[in-house]
Amino acid sequence: MQEALNHKHAAHAIDPITLEVVRHAMVSITNQIDANIKRTAFSAYIYEYNDFAVGLTDADGMLVAQCTGGMPPFVADSVGMAVRDGLHIYGKERLHHGDVVLCNHAAVQGQHLNNTVMYTPIHAGASRDALVGFFAINVHWIDIGGCVPHSTDIFMEGLQLRSIKLMSKGEPIEEVYRIIENNTRQPVELMGDIAAQLAGCLLGRDLIAALVDKYGAETFERAVDVILEQSEAAARALIRSMPDGTYTSETFLDNDRAGDEPLPIRIKVVVAGDEMTIDYSGIAGQVKGPINSGWFGGGQTTARVAFKYLMGAGEMANEGTFRPLKLILPPGKILSADPTAPMGNYSTPFPTVIDAVIKALEKALPARVPGGHFGTHSGVRFHGRRADGAFFGTHDSGHGGWGACATHDGAGPFRTMAHGDTRIIPLELQETYLPVRIEAFSLREDSGGAGEFRGGLGFRKRYRMLAPCGLQTNLDRTKFPPWGVQGGKPGEPGRFLLVEGATGRERPIEKEKGLQLKAGDLVSVETGGGGGYGPPQARTLERIQRDLDGGYVSKAAAERDYGVTVGTDGKARRETMDDRK
Amino acid sequence: MAFAVAVDIGGTFTDLVAYDHENHRVAYAKSPTTYGNFVEGILDCFNKVKLQPEAASFVNHGTTLVINALIQRKGAKAALVTTTGFRDVLEIARGNRPDPFDLHYRRDDPLIPRPLRFEVPERIGSQGEIVTPLDSAALTALAGKIKSLGIEAVAIFFMNSYANPVHEEQAAAALRALLPGVFITCSTELTREWYEYERTSTVAANAYVGPQVTTYIRRLEDDLASQGFSGTLYMMGSNGGLLSVERTCRQPVGLVESGPIGGCIGAGAYAETLGLKNVIAFDMGGTTAKCALVEDGRFSVDSIYYAGGYVKGFPIKSSVINIVEVGSGGGSIAWLDPQNRLSVGPQSAGSTPGPACYGTGGTEPTVTDANLVLGRLNPDRFLGGELRLDTAAARKAVQKIGAPLGYAGADGLTRMADGIIALATVIMAGAIKTISIEHGRDPREFVLFCYGGGGPLHASALARELSIPTVVIPPEPGNFSAVGMLLADARLDVSKTFTGRLSDTTVASLKDAFADMEAEARATLVRDFGAGEVLFERFGEMRYVGQRHNIKVPLPDTADPAAIRTSFDRDYKRRYGHADARANAEFQALHLSAFSRMRRPELKWLPRAQGGSATPQRRQVYFGAAGTLDAAVFDRTALPVGFKGQGPALIEEYGSTTLIWPGDRFEVGTFGELRIQCGQG
Repeated sequence: MQEALNHKHAAHAIDPITLEVVRHAMVSITNQIDANIKRTAFSAYIYEYNDFAVGLTDADGMLVAQCTGGMPPFVADSVGMAVRDGLHIYGKERLHHGDVVLCNHAAVQGQHLNNTVMYTPIHAGASRDALVGFFAINVHWIDIGGCVPHSTDIFMEGLQLRSIKLMSKGEPIEEVYRIIENNTRQPVELMGDIAAQLAGCLLGRDLIAALVDKYGAETFERAVDVILEQSEAAARALIRSMPDGTYTSETFLDNDRAGDEPLPIRIKVVVAGDEMTIDYSGIAGQVKGPINSGWFGGGQTTARVAFKYLMGAGEMANEGTFRPLKLILPPGKILSADPTAPMGNYSTPFPTVIDAVIKALEKALPARVPGGHFGTHSGVRFHGRRADGAFFGTHDSGHGGWGACATHDGAGPFRTMAHGDTRIIPLELQETYLPVRIEAFSLREDSGGAGEFRGGLGFRKRYRMLAPCGLQTNLDRTKFPPWGVQGGKPGEPGRFLLVEGATGRERPIEKEKGLQLKAGDLVSVETGGGGGYGPPQARTLERIQRDLDGGYVSKAAAERDYGVTVGTDGKARRETMDDRK
Repeated sequence: MAFAVAVDIGGTFTDLVAYDHENHRVAYAKSPTTYGNFVEGILDCFNKVKLQPEAASFVNHGTTLVINALIQRKGAKAALVTTTGFRDVLEIARGNRPDPFDLHYRRDDPLIPRPLRFEVPERIGSQGEIVTPLDSAALTALAGKIKSLGIEAVAIFFMNSYANPVHEEQAAAALRALLPGVFITCSTELTREWYEYERTSTVAANAYVGPQVTTYIRRLEDDLASQGFSGTLYMMGSNGGLLSVERTCRQPVGLVESGPIGGCIGAGAYAETLGLKNVIAFDMGGTTAKCALVEDGRFSVDSIYYAGGYVKGFPIKSSVINIVEVGSGGGSIAWLDPQNRLSVGPQSAGSTPGPACYGTGGTEPTVTDANLVLGRLNPDRFLGGELRLDTAAARKAVQKIGAPLGYAGADGLTRMADGIIALATVIMAGAIKTISIEHGRDPREFVLFCYGGGGPLHASALARELSIPTVVIPPEPGNFSAVGMLLADARLDVSKTFTGRLSDTTVASLKDAFADMEAEARATLVRDFGAGEVLFERFGEMRYVGQRHNIKVPLPDTADPAAIRTSFDRDYKRRYGHADARANAEFQALHLSAFSRMRRPELKWLPRAQGGSATPQRRQVYFGAAGTLDAAVFDRTALPVGFKGQGPALIEEYGSTTLIWPGDRFEVGTFGELRIQCGQG
């Protein structure tokens, strides 16, 4: 029997059970380190936003396993890029047991400089001399200097670290610590986060090394090969399930934050057999505002995130998953910008780009592709000084509606497709730390696109200012709303309103960088809803009634979108053929 | 006669343990859980042990009623009353997607649908000041509407009520007066901590299960009384302490982990008596395996629990023992994905259709089937022979997934079955690593304490996987949750938000805050349990200024900020491997645990009466790399204290089987526990 098995997998003689045991152990280790970092980090970016990811690469820097949670753009391979740069610079022989390396360089990762990968080589064997891989953690560093969002090139955005050793053979390099500590506005938080990141790297390394030692380096490496092959096979199976063809979609970002011209996001996806090519040739060129990203950190990342969404949550993301995925992306685009381009808000286009790639496959995967989601950061940032003179500043993000799918109404409000396990900041916490009172936090009626399945709703959040305060906003997709699919209608775009306390005058807040608010002013954030799925006429009366009873949809909208009449008893009726006669 | 009785109602079985304090006699019974009327199962257990309820002085009761009602959505028609503008807090939740790449991710629906969520004008500011008074006329009008809708329970949540509960209290009093017979509950009765979604979710859950729990407990009291019971009924709280019936009826969410808690209490009691400083309590049942850390006889208690899990469920702010649970139990199904990758669980065959070997309709291979194929279970002695296992059906099921993987013939079948167990072992070991790493502990420094039907069967393999040298199996592992309930203290946990940097002034007001909480807790324990001595444990939720995550630090009984700082730094470093001498520390919340000892059985009387022959039978059992060996099979009740043996062996008893690997040595300890020293490899 064993002979037969060996013959079947001549290149990889590993029995399927050992393989599964190694796989489970690897994923479980990345998740344990994930939990450890969340509980040790200083800054909210990590604990509340989960703005980090934990990964394991092989000895060549190819991604093998990652934590299950983590930010989607990080999961695409941010750690692998950094490790490969280190391998290029140092070579395997100069990456020793106990070395820890940092990288946030724009030419390597092509994202904002906060995203800093820290990694350490994993050496197996009693003398720790056989390199088997790298344990890597990408963390959003809270501040690395710079002047985003007003930057015009990358050099205005802070400190760049290109494959710099933080530790050498187990000894911290104090000069590097000093450089970092003296180039940040928030040294206490950053150094605390770095300590958590370092502890996670070292513990992860030791756990993986113990696993390798238990099964032997050869078995471990074979397990890695087979794991990548199986992920590749699953990806190819998904692509084969789509009809061959060329699929396209088109939408626009509102502007680049520097001017007010819409930026085209034109997507072409070619499915041929078990390979898929995502072609970004039709997207906007590099822009002046800081919303650019590099070829790997922007183009490849969004393509891979979109593909991973299509693959589904059950499949672990690794290099094998992405082998059948090809990318066409000429240099000089907004997602393949020059490394000197401003990138401070690099992820601003991501939700729209990812969503548009998925939308392109509406016909290829009708059961899987949902309506568009609200797709924008919808951020508000309040800043100013308290009565005691202390500075305050906070980002608050908008969560909006997601698209409906073939079986359900859209969900949400959630954050965008470029976010994951990111939690809303509690209102009671905000009221304690900011001079605001929240007057309402509710679902935004009628914001979901109509359809057989309705798009998810955005929310409405009203902030009453209790003291003067500065405001910055970051809203997109106001001119090009979240689309419906399969005949579903688009969702409502988001909007921000200001009601002046003194006059009661209401006006929309446009792209204003430095709005000054007075005590008594009211800021209303209304986030977008998701697109619908299927024609509205196909929506069941039961669902329409549930929407009316819950107030998710108003009487007027129900009559307009679904062709029903709503009686004084609140009951919806659909005209039957008999009625029409 | 003064019998203490503990009853644990589980999904499949109702377990009862009775202990006679005067004659030190103990009796155990197991009976199928009787859905529809749980009391029948309990009375059946009383019959089996030939005990009249009137002989019981008190009954400690644990039940999965609350968690089942929440998960299966079988609770009351409940309404939510909130501050104007905030009725959707319950539905918006925290807006996160814990499964980032699930394009169709959705959270479970809220317990209270939007049409039943109402708003009334009122507002408390963040400092507790009244911004808008409670509109009582609006509340009265709302009461009329609630009545007309036939609502059975009302949850009240107001913004910032944690800082000043006065409006919630007024609204609750008014609605209780206006709506007799309706279950009324407000958020600050359950927790005084901030975070509006968590408080709303907690009070909604409390209302949702309130009517059902109240009805159940009253009925149980009545039925027991009609059988002559005149003692006191106590409920097993998720915090590991007993709750009075009156308190349970106000705070039924306090029972959310009432089921699994017993085992942890038992593990703590044995650890203390056996002088084991660090113990991992490991419980493997039919659908899941659970583990908890017990240090110095104490388990840690969290103040948040996710009903239905973190990924799709909702939070309950309540003191709940800190448990990590994985979907790996005896009934967990082994399956292959389209790429022929093997997984075990989390789907379970449960009790219906059950593992293939139960012969009750199951055809998928489960962990139990794999154990049977490997000779580790005796088909004729499962549950004392009450359920005969079908080995042929087990083999057929395991073969089903073995074939596509290339495991053919008798040898292949064995290897496949062994593979299922190996994978389950890795998953369970992962849970143990997670809970130890999260607390900054090294599992190798712990003793593995295993119970539940499947725990003893997998204990030694798990210990090897984790490099843990010692395993302890208590007496009655299959009834251990009920045993633990018999050993529970009365306990009350109180917490409140308390913010401020660590300084002389904060420490002074902290002492005042604890004094108030202690007085309140003492009064409650005296009233509910006639408590004599009340013991307190004080904790602070602390962090470095600027951090968002708190750690729960035991606070020394002192007014010296330096001592508190030392305690915080020490715990922080132990958990995270580093501490920051320069950063300031601050408080976020205070927790108080108040205990009152109940009369406890002595552990040495808990093993069943001895009987039978200590001469083992023999059976062929598969032991991984060592192959199939001729193993000694002992009857546990026949093994006297001090009995020693070594693997390969099996020790069988009612409800469980302990597997002793080659290289392991075991001994029966003074309290009837099995102590296994694990060999290497």
